[in-house]
Amino acid sequence: MKTIKASGIGNPIDRIEGHLKVTGKAKYASEFPVENMVYAQGVNSTIAKGKITSIDTSEAEKLDGVLAVITYKNAEKLKNYPKDMTNFSLTTVAPVFQDRQVHYYGQYIACVIAETFEQAQYACRLVKVTYEEESPDIHLDKNRGKAYKPGDSADFSRGDMDAGMREADVTLEQTYTTPIEHQQPMELHAAIVNWNDGKVKMYANQQILNQATTSISETFGIPKEDVQIITPYIGGGFGSKLNVYKHITMATMASKMIGRPVQITVTRHQMFTNTGMRQFDEQEMRLGAIKDGSLTALAHHTTSHTAKNLQYFEACGNVSKMLYKTPNNAVTHRLIPLNIQCPSSMRAPGEATGSFALESAIDELAWKLKMDPIDFRIKNDTQVDMGADKPFSSRLLVECLRIGADKFGWENRKMQPGTNKKGNWLIGYGVSAASRRAPYMKTSAKIVLELNEAALNANIKMDATDIGTGTYTIVAQTVSEYLGIPVENVKVEIGDSEFPVTPGSGGSWGAASYCNGARKACENAIAELKKKQNITESEEIEVAELLQQNNLTTFEAEGTAEPSEEYKKHSVFSFGANFTEVWVDKDTGMYRIKRMVNVGSAGKILNPKTAYGQIIGGLTMGAGMVIAERTQVEPNYGNFITRTLADYHVPVNLDLANIDVVFLPEEDKIANEMGVKGIGELGITSVAASIANAIFNATGKRMRDLPITPEKLIEAGLEPGVA
Amino acid sequence: MAKFNLNINGEDKTVDVDPSTPLLWVLRDHLNLVGTKYGCGIAQCGACTVHFNGSAVRSCQLPVSSLEGSKIRTIEGLSENGDHPVQQAWLEIDVPQCGYCQAGQIMSASALLESNPNPSDEEIENAMNGNICRCGTYSRIKAAIKAASKSQIA
Ligand code: FES
Ligand code: FES
Repeated sequence: MKTIKASGIGNPIDRIEGHLKVTGKAKYASEFPVENMVYAQGVNSTIAKGKITSIDTSEAEKLDGVLAVITYKNAEKLKNYPKDMTNFSLTTVAPVFQDRQVHYYGQYIACVIAETFEQAQYACRLVKVTYEEESPDIHLDKNRGKAYKPGDSADFSRGDMDAGMREADVTLEQTYTTPIEHQQPMELHAAIVNWNDGKVKMYANQQILNQATTSISETFGIPKEDVQIITPYIGGGFGSKLNVYKHITMATMASKMIGRPVQITVTRHQMFTNTGMRQFDEQEMRLGAIKDGSLTALAHHTTSHTAKNLQYFEACGNVSKMLYKTPNNAVTHRLIPLNIQCPSSMRAPGEATGSFALESAIDELAWKLKMDPIDFRIKNDTQVDMGADKPFSSRLLVECLRIGADKFGWENRKMQPGTNKKGNWLIGYGVSAASRRAPYMKTSAKIVLELNEAALNANIKMDATDIGTGTYTIVAQTVSEYLGIPVENVKVEIGDSEFPVTPGSGGSWGAASYCNGARKACENAIAELKKKQNITESEEIEVAELLQQNNLTTFEAEGTAEPSEEYKKHSVFSFGANFTEVWVDKDTGMYRIKRMVNVGSAGKILNPKTAYGQIIGGLTMGAGMVIAERTQVEPNYGNFITRTLADYHVPVNLDLANIDVVFLPEEDKIANEMGVKGIGELGITSVAASIANAIFNATGKRMRDLPITPEKLIEAGLEPGVA
Repeated sequence: MAKFNLNINGEDKTVDVDPSTPLLWVLRDHLNLVGTKYGCGIAQCGACTVHFNGSAVRSCQLPVSSLEGSKIRTIEGLSENGDHPVQQAWLEIDVPQCGYCQAGQIMSASALLESNPNPSDEEIENAMNGNICRCGTYSRIKAAIKAASKSQIA
């Protein structure tokens, strides 16, 4: 079969929807023109724990344009959380206003529906609430006694940790802390919901449509088929749009009550209190190694928090089970229920924060052993995932480290901190390994072929989403490759829950799953057309010709791709290494990230242009973890002190300098037939430690609490052994 | 409510709104020009950037009552076919990811190049510093501004 390689996979073609995005024409959830639409807005609680004793909506209701106010008094009965402590999954129901209880500061307690956005916003302020307030649990420290183990997967152990520590010549015991962070995609959560005759159709920026329709249908007790979500473009997610949040429930309830389409746009404030966050993690690391650098023991204990009624935890310790060869290994996770909203996934949940702790600790131990940190990592490399007892499908971590070191000029690094100086600047180099599971999941797609004169056009449909990752483009490239037609002849239709089911965008599984699903649909179409003509499978023939031989101008096929048995027998990860140069002002503690080199091995790169964007995006958000991002909680009232973009600081144009991204050529056919692995989260897993390690190399100070602000850096003392 | 005459993308428009309504909402809700985005409403993100008599401003902070007699340009009016040198450079360098911040980025960048056709790195960083991109496209934004600057000068 002839293929036109110019637009097939592996080529750095321009994003196919790019034109819409540079002209302002790409339409996001709140931007669809809908007739007769009204606006809803949520009212947030101003206490962290207690009961609503009265709620007076009369003044709000009198306001011009206000159509209704919903509270626990008049809300319809929904399916509530099944347990006192419910696991917060992608299909968990999203009940709202089912009782008078307040579990955290900012919880929705009422919803106003009005003719205009402004009227709804204003009326929210007129809703008068009184509470019977109780003293909330806010502090981790004051509630340590309530720590519990969140399920069997929370603990892991291999060998004998204590014996491993005794055997070691050098040991390290340190605690690393990372703050609450917020995803804050630039597009606010929004939806336009229309309840019509028991069925609901909505424009809503959800990352995973198939799970979201389950959640919504169960919340309202209607068949899943009666829920439709449309979302052609999503203005960033970073995990915050994985789950169904309660603004969706409020707007749905409102539409049902009023009988008109309802738009809801969550405010930036509410993006802090009502759409998830990364939790605060306290990670205690214990490591031991013998003189030649072999690790003898590695323990990773995480204490974190969850909501009072919902449970979520990011598995920080998972990275310590698989990254290095360690005979003795222990991993635990504990949660403390607090009166703070339920955490959720934020870009590389567990890996981003867990890698900061592990890769900082590895650097510290290398320093104690007087070993180069790259040599130390290479010494402990493993081709077997010891945590899962399976071989890696492929693992090029050593190559990433070596090639990166070369590109970066690692040989110019001074082992002794504080010795590389330029005027007032202390210059440091740091490295960190990157690793992220690269899952692949069952994915279906439908392809419609159309012969127009001699030109073959294809239209592919799947319920995939594009959160900025490049889904449209890589799916078009896949179809182009497997049908042997130019990419311009491929139309990609995604973002509609009525299309064939995919696992959606999240967890670094999108690219591999979507493309293999699209591949399978193409292959099935060709196979079916060949079969009709008794053409053997191996015979090469153009698809257009096949249609002609079949006397067809149009043909449809579906395909479903699934992980193979081989896949299940292996651990499938993407790997990488990140190198950072920082300059620290020795008097003020101000520092600049001067340059980064990132080397990744993530299977077949479908499109180097969009892939590069994913890596720099991860690096930027990872830099944010170090330089600025931190949600501060008021210790008595439990409200977030930082809850606007004016005080929750994210990286801006000034913060990032030169970034060099390299992908190693790799094709991992065990991962999936196309050899594709995810890269959306790989970048972020290696940044924080590489910056912190560079700061140590510059200053001789170990910074174990993120973010690393200048005042913390000034206050910190030198590490033992630093001259 | 009051009537206001506005000149947007070279066209005269009349809207009947409260005088304190920010331009952002006049554009999005009354004129259906939704290319200009709402990101924060408090001048902290740059998603709502438009040109006000040629300079980049945050439309979420600009009450409609202050606009009579001035010329407003939005992303929809930056070029007829989406081929402004900045837009072309943006496509070529693949700046947009999710795309949500990009109308604002492009309006800031095009205003910068209008007043300073050949900006230095530092000038680019300073001019673009108020436009947040959560997808992290900053290094490509810089590269694209340089590419657009070259193509404009050439
Ligand atoms: S919406 Fe205007 S600056 Fe953010
Ligand atoms: S491209 Fe997504 S926020 Fe900038």
